[in-house]
Amino acid sequence: MSGDHHNTDDSGPAARVKALEAILTEKGLIDPAAIDAIVDLYETRVGPRNGARVVAKAWTDPAYRKRLLADATKAVAEIGFAGPEGGHLVAVENTDRVHNLVVCTLCSCYPWPVLGLPPVWYKSFAYRSRAVSDPRGVLADFGLELPREVEVRVWDSSAEIRYLVIPQRPKGTERMSEDALAEIVTRDSMVGVAKVEAPRA
Amino acid sequence: MSTTELNSLIEAARLDADHVFSAPWEARAFAMALKLSQAGHFTWDEFRQRLIAEVRASDRIRARDGTSDNGEYYDHFLRALEKLLEEKGIAHSH
Repeated sequence: MSGDHHNTDDSGPAARVKALEAILTEKGLIDPAAIDAIVDLYETRVGPRNGARVVAKAWTDPAYRKRLLADATKAVAEIGFAGPEGGHLVAVENTDRVHNLVVCTLCSCYPWPVLGLPPVWYKSFAYRSRAVSDPRGVLADFGLELPREVEVRVWDSSAEIRYLVIPQRPKGTERMSEDALAEIVTRDSMVGVAKVEAPRA
Repeated sequence: MSTTELNSLIEAARLDADHVFSAPWEARAFAMALKLSQAGHFTWDEFRQRLIAEVRASDRIRARDGTSDNGEYYDHFLRALEKLLEEKGIAHSH
């Protein structure tokens, strides 16, 4: 740490982030404790559990399902889910005839308040470049083979609109409570790359 | 952009379903960008435009060379943040 030579160009991202955080903290622009709080929020609290609660409620409460399909932003705010990247949310429902798949071909638009931050594969070139041109191929990679007669609809997210897939409620879950249903709804099913499976007895 | 590549990412996600950050620096870069935008130093849209530009440049190289990405999304994210902070005169990285 002597002399005027900075080797930030050669150092890895961890060192660059550390340097940036030091500069911004010194300038009083950020507070490391506030940064810790955001990290904790998105690592542990804002995540697909939120979306799972929305889906379980839609499965068990027909009036809520209607409101969700009419205005998802408003309907998820009703149960307390709002925040950055949460505006203009659209819920799309899977049926026996239609399967919905969500992608962001440009980069990584994703409904944070209900799903948290996107997983690595969602942001990958492999997923973004193929979801529109070969959705069935992508679904097959996820182990999901759909009957030919099922129409696959691909939704390309943007800064303006994000999507939440309402997966089909699996057979055999008729007697499960809303809370128990929320436990079986997965993130992948709400992006449209998986189905929800009924728990094995 | 092969099936194999997507499969390995899917497998990684299966092993660690809640995994959103691969390293602590990714989380801190994300949190700093969000905090600075919430404090009004730039809008999230301004940041997003830079991020899209970084991702697009990388996509072009991948499409040309037929190479795969290895989850370097946050490298693009960090570069976008550094460039934006430099443009805004908020912080210079070098």
